[in-house]
Order: sequence, then C-alpha cells, then structure tokens
Amino acid sequence: MIRLEGVTKEYAGGVYALREIDLELREGELVVLKGVSGSGKSTILSLIAGLSKPSKGRVVVDGKEISRLPDHFCATFRRDNIGIIFQKYNLIADLSVAENILLPLYPANLPKGELQKRLKQLLETFHIEDKQESLVKSLSGGQQQRVAIARAKINHPKIILADEPTANLDEKLSREFIEILKNLKSQNRTIIIATHDPLFFDLDFVDRYITLQHGKIVDDNT
Amino acid sequence: MMLLIWLVMTLFFLSSSISYELTTKTEHMPDIILTQTKAGREGFVDEKIVDHILEIEGVSRAYAYIKAPYQFKEDISFTIFGVDPFEEIDDPFIAHLLERYNLESGSMLVSHDVKELMKKAYYTKEFNFIRPDGSLKRVQIAKEFDTKNAPHYRWLIVMSKEDARDILGLAGSEATNIAIDVANKLETPLIAAKLKEYYPNAKVVTKKEQKLLYEQSFNFYSGTFLILFSITLLTFFIIIYDRLSGMSSEERREIGILKAIGWRIEDVLGAKFYEAFFIAVFSYIAGVSIAYLYVFYLKAPLLGNIFLHDAFLQTQQFSLAPHIEFFYLFLVFLLVVPLYFAAVIIPAWRVATLDADEVMR
Repeated sequence: MIRLEGVTKEYAGGVYALREIDLELREGELVVLKGVSGSGKSTILSLIAGLSKPSKGRVVVDGKEISRLPDHFCATFRRDNIGIIFQKYNLIADLSVAENILLPLYPANLPKGELQKRLKQLLETFHIEDKQESLVKSLSGGQQQRVAIARAKINHPKIILADEPTANLDEKLSREFIEILKNLKSQNRTIIIATHDPLFFDLDFVDRYITLQHGKIVDDNT
Repeated sequence: MMLLIWLVMTLFFLSSSISYELTTKTEHMPDIILTQTKAGREGFVDEKIVDHILEIEGVSRAYAYIKAPYQFKEDISFTIFGVDPFEEIDDPFIAHLLERYNLESGSMLVSHDVKELMKKAYYTKEFNFIRPDGSLKRVQIAKEFDTKNAPHYRWLIVMSKEDARDILGLAGSEATNIAIDVANKLETPLIAAKLKEYYPNAKVVTKKEQKLLYEQSFNFYSGTFLILFSITLLTFFIIIYDRLSGMSSEERREIGILKAIGWRIEDVLGAKFYEAFFIAVFSYIAGVSIAYLYVFYLKAPLLGNIFLHDAFLQTQQFSLAPHIEFFYLFLVFLLVVPLYFAAVIIPAWRVATLDADEVMR
C-alpha cells in the first residue's frame, strides 16, 4: 500500500534526514518506527503524508506517486486518505473542540447533517461530548490528545500517521492512547507510529517494528 | 484597526460638520453688516441712520435688527433675535417660524435645546431674563421649534423687538446691527468703504469678509487636523507594513496545520479572505458608526476641543449637527479595506505555498 523507493531527504545546509530508504508497508498493518531524535522517523511520516517531497526517490501511496503530485493534489489526497496525529497535537487554540475536529472537512463541503453525524460519533467514542463547545486551550493534555485523534479520524482515513503521540502524555494517558490505537487497528486501518516511547516496544498487536538510525533502516522486525 | 478608523472618521465628521455649519451660517447673511462701536467696543446702533444709508447709491435695502447673545451659563449663550412681525425677515428659517407661530409681546419662541436647558433650571412655561440693571424680565415660552435642519440656530430665542430691547438694555430706537443689501454685488466693497467714511465709529463687515473670518479661524485648526490625520495614517501604514513583512510564528503554524490536514492553498487563502473581509468590514462599519455617535450624539468630548477650543469658534456655538460627506467615507474605505486585505492575503499566500512540513518546523 505504501512504498518508499530509494528515498533520500536532504534539508538545507546539507543535512540528511533519510538516505536511500526502501520500505514497503501493507494495508492494515500497524507499524512502529523506532529511533532516537533525528533518526528520520518523522521525515518518513512527512513524506508519506505528502507534507514534503523527497530529494531523491519515489513515494507511492495507494498506487499514487505522491512524491510527484503537485501541492494541490497532495492536499486533496491527504484530506481523503490520511489522518495525522502530531506530537504537540497541533490543534488551533482559539477554536472549539468541535471546530478543531471538523477542520479537515470544511473544504470538502459535506452536508451539515453528515458533519454533525461524524462529529457526534467521534465525540462519543472519545468521551468528550461535554467539551465540544470548549476552546481546546482549556483542555487537559489527555483531552487535547483525544481531540487530535478525533480530528485525524473525521475524514475516515485509510492511513493514520502518528508522530510521537505520547511525548506529552503521562504513563496513564499513554496507555489510554495505546488502547485507542488497538481499537483503530481492529478497524483495519494502516497505522504508522513514529516514537521512542518504550511503552510501544512490546505490544502484541503491533505488526512491525522498524528501527532507524542516521536516516537508515537498521532493523525491520516483523 | 477599528480604533484608527474611528479616529480618522471622527476627524472627518468634525471637520465636515463644522465647515458645513460655517457655510450655512453665512448663506443668508446680508451683503454688509454695520455695527456701531463706542470707545472701541461694540455698542448699539440708532435705527434712524437706516434712512440715510438707503440714500447711498447702490444700496437696495437696509434695515435694523436686534440679534445679540444672552449669557445663560458660563459656556452657553442664547442668541436673542428681536423681530417685528410687520417687517420682512430675510432669514428663511426665522421667516418660516413667524409664519407658523403667532408671536405676541411678552412671549417668545425657543429652540428645543433652549427649552430643555430652561427646563433643567425649572423654567417650563416662562423664563426670567436679567436686565442690565439687575431687574428681572419675565417672558412666556410660547412655542418651541426644532433646529435639526438649522443647527446654527440651536440656541435661538425669537421675541418681539420691544422685549429684546428691554432685556438687552437698548433704547427705543436702538438696534444691534444694520443689515445692508447691495443691488450689484460687485459694488459691495465700494459701498462698505462709503459706509466707513460716513460712520467712522462703525464697524462694517461684508459677507465676504465674514466668510473669510470663519474660514481662517477654521483653517487654523485644520492644520491640527492634518497633523492628527497624518499620524493616524502613518500608524496604519506601519501596521500594514508589519503585517506584509511576515506572519507571526503562531499564524504560520496554523497555516501549516491546515495544510497538513488536507487544506489546499486556495482553501487557506479562502479562509484568510473571509477572515480579512470580516475584520476589515466589521472594523470599518464599527469605526464609522462609533465615530458618528461620538461626534454627533456625544458632541466629540476631548477631540472636539481641537477644533472648537478657539474662542471665536466657540462663540459661534457649533451644534455638530450630523453632516456626512460620502467622499470621505469612500476615501477611508479605499485606504483601509483593500490595504488590509493585501496585508492579510499576501503573507498568507507566501506561507501557504511552502511545504506544510517546512511551515510547521
């Protein structure tokens, strides 16, 4: 479903985030990318989401060479297929919970009824119904994380990317997140998590652990 | 931005209202006004000289009238206008009043504002004027009239000439001014010169001179207006320049988030367009409305003093009646709204065209 072929990513100043990476991920797989900070985990997620383009090589997602798509199509592709959970949640502080969750769907011009239906379902799933009108800046870290996951799910994505999703959570909330992950996995979504949180390293429902070091895959443990 | 629009529009409203009132004030003035001076001070003029003035070649009309301020409070003077119902009145406003209401001796017509002020002093049906010798003169309030369309008559009291003379301390044949109309307006300066020659103690002011006096006094304060206006504009341009030169890190992050969750460049710019439209139009409407209320209802406290501080302008008793010049409304709209749009859209476009990854980093 996702293929990275000979991918190199070089940032300004000659800094290499990835070097000649080849990787293939199957549909419905839950993959954990391990590695220290700067090893290239987040860059892989960014390339898969089409948030940046590789300096060399190809990125193919669901049959589309996303690394060659113009920005306009990349955005549409992301909106229709990908949900992203960021390390710092990346919510818009001045918007309410409901507005943040619905944000990916605003440009899609879906009927209001459909938006409300999806929103209600997610608010119930993540137990934040009573917070829907609250501004996200007034929420706790765990609640913000749930809003971020709800936002990533609102467009019914085939692929969910999570970048250091528990970096700002305590152990209890991190375990809660893992439960949510397990549930997402059961819905047959392709999930890729970039993390160095040891809580993820011994989970029975994870399909693959890929270890990165200095922009290269050093271990791919299925 | 709303504050800046408010300030600019306040200045425009003030200046256009005052200049409009000055124009209206001089509109129905006679060609020449003659006032007698005694020991260098303005005194009263004997009506008898009217006959002599009428003999001057070129004078088409001359009549004596009584129009003088009556100090009510420290900062408010009424204008007493003495009329003879059998005489022709030039001023259409006063003429219209006399057509509508029957004015009898011992009664007066007062403007709405005068009536209100008297009411505050517990005078509802009559008012006790104080004569120059300290005795009281009671005059009945016959009717009140509206001055919405003639703001310069905000403090006007119309009464019979006899009552006016009694209150102001004028003798039986005395008046405050003599109005002179000239058949050929080009001859006005010549006739004014003749009048000065015949009556060396008289103060002779032509309509043109009076207009000039008003304009000069107003223009002096227009300089202050220009300085304030320039400072406001400069502040606005600095804000616009600051916005154009780059977005804050928070704004960049927001655009990055929107792109990351699937918004296209046009979606981001569309949202920014609506945001700018809402802010600019709301600020414009709110700024203009608040300025309107501030100037025309609250009578521009503090800022109004810039224009009205001068003793001369103050004695003219400006009512700051609503008068809007649509050119200024349009000018401010053109200066503010498109520039603000540019200041929002251009930086947003610069950021939105970058990779989301780069923007969020």
